[in-house]
Amino acid sequence: MIRRDMLKWGALASALAGAPAAALARAGAGLDVLLLDTRFGEGAAVDMGAARVLTFAGDVTRIWYDHLDRAWRQPGFVVGGITGADALFVLETLAQQQGRKVVARNVLAAVDGIAPVSWVIAPVHPSVLA
Amino acid sequence: MSVLPPDLDAAGFAAFLDDLRAVVGPDWVWSGDEDMHAYRDSFSPVWNTEQERHASAAVAPADVEQVSAIVRVARRHRVPLFPISTGKNFGYGGPSPNVNGSVVIDLKRMNRVLEVNEARAFALVEPGVSYFDLYREIEERGLKLMVDCPDPGWGSPVGNSLDRGVGYTMPHYRDHFGAHCGMEVVLPDGEVMRTGMGAMPGAQTWQEYPYGFGPDPSGLFAQGNFGIVTKMGFRLLPLPEYYRTCLITVPKRRDFVKLVEHVNYLNDSGLISEVEYGSPLRAKMADPQFMALITKVGGVSDAELDAAAEAAGLPCWQVELQFLGPERATWENWLHAKERILADISGAQAIEGEHFALPASQQQLDHPQQPWTSAIKRKRSLGVPSLGEWKIVRDDGHIGFFPVLPRTGEAVFEMQRVLGDAMKEFPTLPPFFNALTTPLMWHTHTFQMVFAPSIRHDDPAHNAISHAAMKKCVEVAAEHGWGDYRAAPIYQDAVADTYSFNNHALRRFHEQLKDAIDPDGIIAPGRGGIWPRRFRA
Ligand SMILES: Cc1cc2nc3c(=O)[nH]c(=O)nc-3n(C[C@H](O)[C@H](O)[C@H](O)COP(=O)(O)OP(=O)(O)OC[C@H]3O[C@@H](n4cnc5c(N)ncnc54)[C@H](O)[C@@H]3O)c2cc1C
Repeated sequence: MIRRDMLKWGALASALAGAPAAALARAGAGLDVLLLDTRFGEGAAVDMGAARVLTFAGDVTRIWYDHLDRAWRQPGFVVGGITGADALFVLETLAQQQGRKVVARNVLAAVDGIAPVSWVIAPVHPSVLA
Repeated sequence: MSVLPPDLDAAGFAAFLDDLRAVVGPDWVWSGDEDMHAYRDSFSPVWNTEQERHASAAVAPADVEQVSAIVRVARRHRVPLFPISTGKNFGYGGPSPNVNGSVVIDLKRMNRVLEVNEARAFALVEPGVSYFDLYREIEERGLKLMVDCPDPGWGSPVGNSLDRGVGYTMPHYRDHFGAHCGMEVVLPDGEVMRTGMGAMPGAQTWQEYPYGFGPDPSGLFAQGNFGIVTKMGFRLLPLPEYYRTCLITVPKRRDFVKLVEHVNYLNDSGLISEVEYGSPLRAKMADPQFMALITKVGGVSDAELDAAAEAAGLPCWQVELQFLGPERATWENWLHAKERILADISGAQAIEGEHFALPASQQQLDHPQQPWTSAIKRKRSLGVPSLGEWKIVRDDGHIGFFPVLPRTGEAVFEMQRVLGDAMKEFPTLPPFFNALTTPLMWHTHTFQMVFAPSIRHDDPAHNAISHAAMKKCVEVAAEHGWGDYRAAPIYQDAVADTYSFNNHALRRFHEQLKDAIDPDGIIAPGRGGIWPRRFRA
């Protein structure tokens, strides 16, 4: 993980800054993908460097089914996100089942009653460590 | 909060974990607060209180041989195991056990779809297979089969059906336990048993004839604690060619009685898929005067609700009908439904909704275009698993009481009134039971209603209210012969207590069985309200 790049990622940076170095080290060249929940803005200004940005509006079904479920069956793959706490609960629960954990989280100011959270999910179980 | 298994000290627990590691390898046993957080019930009404039930450890076997070996180790150390398949039983206890200190046997690694047979319309799966996994297998192989899934699709056919969960397509498929056909079970002594035709070596009909010969024990493994299911077969609906939706409205309160009879007929004749009852008068619920009427003590009269409906220019009730089948059959079935109901109920009206060939396009799944405000959730109605339903979760989760009541309009009115009045004691909760509350037709031949108060991790006072209301609901409903269909561990004793015919003969029978095959309570003691001798003493 290149810390210099992470700091460009606005709200995500504070979450990442709090992440344990070991967890971030597993990210290799950085996040593999960044998820943005468009209920909290379009995220167009986010400069993601190498990571792919995937957007959704509260419902993580498609992103999880098309991308994360497949990626999480292989070792590695670090995901960052700025999403509703509800979407994070779903992703965190699914991640745990596939040997991953939220290694950093930071609750941001609520928008329309839903608090966005910036977070990083990284592999922690030996069977999925890169 | 670290806990130990019952009757075990720290040294004994450490020795037990060592024995588990010897079976599954060191990476597949977890204990300690951080790792066990994932096995807490995040929807618990007693979250962070002394009453919350905690597991002491978790173990994830790779195959049935390891499951047997774990059971034998647990038996030697007298440690209760709590099996989960995908562990998403939120609202009914999540992955957390009945007994503090139990060890979760997490079957997530046993995630093979063993067979999907298109020509004979069945699947055989392991417990870690989720609805998404089964759907993906069918989609990728282009098979013409439909999976009946719950909201949300991250659970498993095995776990869901073993808690007698429900879905949303044709009557005989949406009762998930009813749609199972054949299982493999590890018994409390570690022995592996197969039910039905699976008991006959060489039989090719395990997923086609559930009974085999002699008594069929498969019912004991649903909401029970007599074994760990390691394989399970399910009947699948051949992918219907066409989907059609229609709406019927009826003007007066009492019309609901006849409407229900007609819909029962359509359901029982296999002419319709799941139905959504509702009331167009819900649009008036923001009006405090109207709200006072529909929540008034003693219930509303026909005349009162009819007058309110007339003033609002709205019918009292509606039912959304869904049809699956060949295009012509869906059309004929709809015509039949319409003619039957409109000829019998004066003022009834019919509206045709969306209809299209299956499989549905992404646009049809994501953006229904109904000419009315619809309660149908398109994906689940078409057997497409989703996680979108998560948005119905308020606060940090909910608990659920879903009483079973007769499929009649009168019974619906009575439950609205009785439970509505009983819940007046809890004025801060939403009025789940009011004069517009309509029944769900989840299971094939019965009605249920929903009581699902929320829980909040940072508000124990609110949780205590939800918890007290749940217990009151169970008690008052039972006085009227309405029983809960499914419950979280923390409510299972109270619910089991209400099934008390002939001095609890059913429970005593279950206890006799449990004592005979699992007296030390190795498999999920307390589940379904069934306690073995060791824990009754
Ligand atoms: C918003 C929301 C909507 C929901 N909608 C629905 C719905 O439409 N329909 C529905 O049915 N539920 C619904 N639920 C409840 C629940 O999420 C699902 O039923 C879910 O499928 C259950 O979790 P699971 O499949 O992972 O089962 P698990 O949690 O794995 O299993 C459930 C229970 O069965 C027993 N068990 C599991 N596996 C085994 C085994 N192999 N051997 C022996 N015993 C076993 C255990 O006691 C376990 O606690 C909903 C929940 C929420 C929060």
